[in-house]
Amino acid sequence: MSEGKIVSIHSFRGGTGKSNTTANLAAQIAMMGRRVGVVDTDIQSPGIHVLFGLDDQKMGKTLNDFLHGAATIREVGYSVGEHPAEGQGRAQLKGKQIFLFPSSIKGGEISKILKEGIDFNVLNEGLQTAISEFDLDYLFIDTHPGLNEETLLSIATSDVLIVILRPDNQDLQGTAVTVDIARSLDVPNLLLMVNKALPKHDASAIKAEIESQFDAPVTSVLPLSFDMAENASRDLFSLSYPDHEWSQALKNVVPFILNAK
Amino acid sequence: MIDAVLEKIREADFFQELSDDALAAVAAKATLRKYATGDALMRKGDPADSFHLILEGHLKIVTTDARGDEIIINRVGPGETIGELALVDERPRSAGAIALDNVEALELTKEAFFDLLDHRLDVSLGILRGFSNRLRFSTTYIEKVIDWSQKTAEGDYSFLEHTQPITNRPGTDDDKAAQLLSAFYSMVRRVKAREEGLKQQVEQLTFEIDQERRKKEFEEITGTEFYARLKEQAHTIRKKRQGL
Ligand SMILES: Nc1ncnc2c1ncn2[C@@H]1O[C@H](COP(=O)(O)OP(=O)(O)OP(=O)(O)O)[C@@H](O)[C@H]1O
Ligand SMILES: [Mg+2]
Repeated sequence: MSEGKIVSIHSFRGGTGKSNTTANLAAQIAMMGRRVGVVDTDIQSPGIHVLFGLDDQKMGKTLNDFLHGAATIREVGYSVGEHPAEGQGRAQLKGKQIFLFPSSIKGGEISKILKEGIDFNVLNEGLQTAISEFDLDYLFIDTHPGLNEETLLSIATSDVLIVILRPDNQDLQGTAVTVDIARSLDVPNLLLMVNKALPKHDASAIKAEIESQFDAPVTSVLPLSFDMAENASRDLFSLSYPDHEWSQALKNVVPFILNAK
Repeated sequence: MIDAVLEKIREADFFQELSDDALAAVAAKATLRKYATGDALMRKGDPADSFHLILEGHLKIVTTDARGDEIIINRVGPGETIGELALVDERPRSAGAIALDNVEALELTKEAFFDLLDHRLDVSLGILRGFSNRLRFSTTYIEKVIDWSQKTAEGDYSFLEHTQPITNRPGTDDDKAAQLLSAFYSMVRRVKAREEGLKQQVEQLTFEIDQERRKKEFEEITGTEFYARLKEQAHTIRKKRQGL
């Protein structure tokens, strides 16, 4: 097995910014010349392919095909560097080593997997094969919100788990359970990240409060931003607007990933 | 033409590039006109057959809205010219000009204007320079405002400290730009003040975790057979990976 690390991005509630964070972190690390993979294990409501501009027509074999034994991981991997999509940010990935392992967006395929369930060993083998065959330094996993079975599988196999939360009591309550689960599954590197913080909130106070509640590092506090909302997952925001405060705050997460043991 | 009038022409921005001799040639072709309060120098839609340099008094530049009500779009005074662009592009008057008090203006008809351009290369060049100065001037200020707007959007207000809005001769293009810039300045100052106000009332968020619920939910998830098997499989796999 290779040395590549599995980095899962999770949030207890939906719409927290997992897919945008995952895609942008993966892109930032690929821009540094590292070899990066991105897997969508949000089988129920896949989304990360949108950020890389991969649509219905361009999508070939998917993770679903691999899970039923209808495709190899090599066939599922889509080279983003060879097919950069339109957009000022995405275009910068041209020639970079970044591979997407998308999840099917066809209704029938989705319900099939959900009915059959996913075998942990099969998924894990797929991830390990992706790392070795594509010689990856990092394999990012975008997950479904909440703690359903697919998500528990992703957490169980992670070397690094980044839990994203909004500064909100409901998110905090759910995050508490996720943190307990991650510890129970022996995830070696547990990191937190806050997204959608309001300008009236004091970022350093939020960081301190959450760190003391969970005894885990808060890597960064990303602001709620109209510009991000307007981007509406149409491009990789941190590449198209590298100096924006959201992008700067996102980039603060990168060293935590690079330094994970 | 009397010296006092020549002096006023010389001060007009539009003619600033003209030599004394060229100015005298312009003045010789122009007619001095007087208007009383409420008189119209021109009306919207009139054919453009002359332009005016205002020597004394003020005018309002007006247009009409959809309902036919008057809208004042500008106010002009001594040293300013009105209607010179219409002479060149030959379009009807885009707005009317009405005297706000007793107005004295020099009128240069279209024929006289073109005659001058025909016969006096120095006048033509001077007037062309007048036009291009304006363009260059507007571009410079537009670029400044764009630059400052970007800085403001990024929350960088430092330009307020190390630039000064320029105040200039009233009635000139500089003056209009200065008005725009000082309006811009005061807007940015207010935005900055409001932002600082917001920062001061930063809310201290307090989080409350319901520990009992947390424990219950954790037990619900970890109590299943699925979870027990997953934990074991995960443990095996981690061991295996560490071994390498
Ligand atoms: N900091 C932010 N400020 C404003 N909008 C944001 C921010 N972060 C993400 N968004 C927007 O919120 C929406 C949800 O983001 P995203 O799809 O990344 O979340 P998610 O957690 O993957 O959602 P899901 O749970 O549905 O998979 C998107 O429209 C995105 O553009
Ligand atoms: Mg998502």
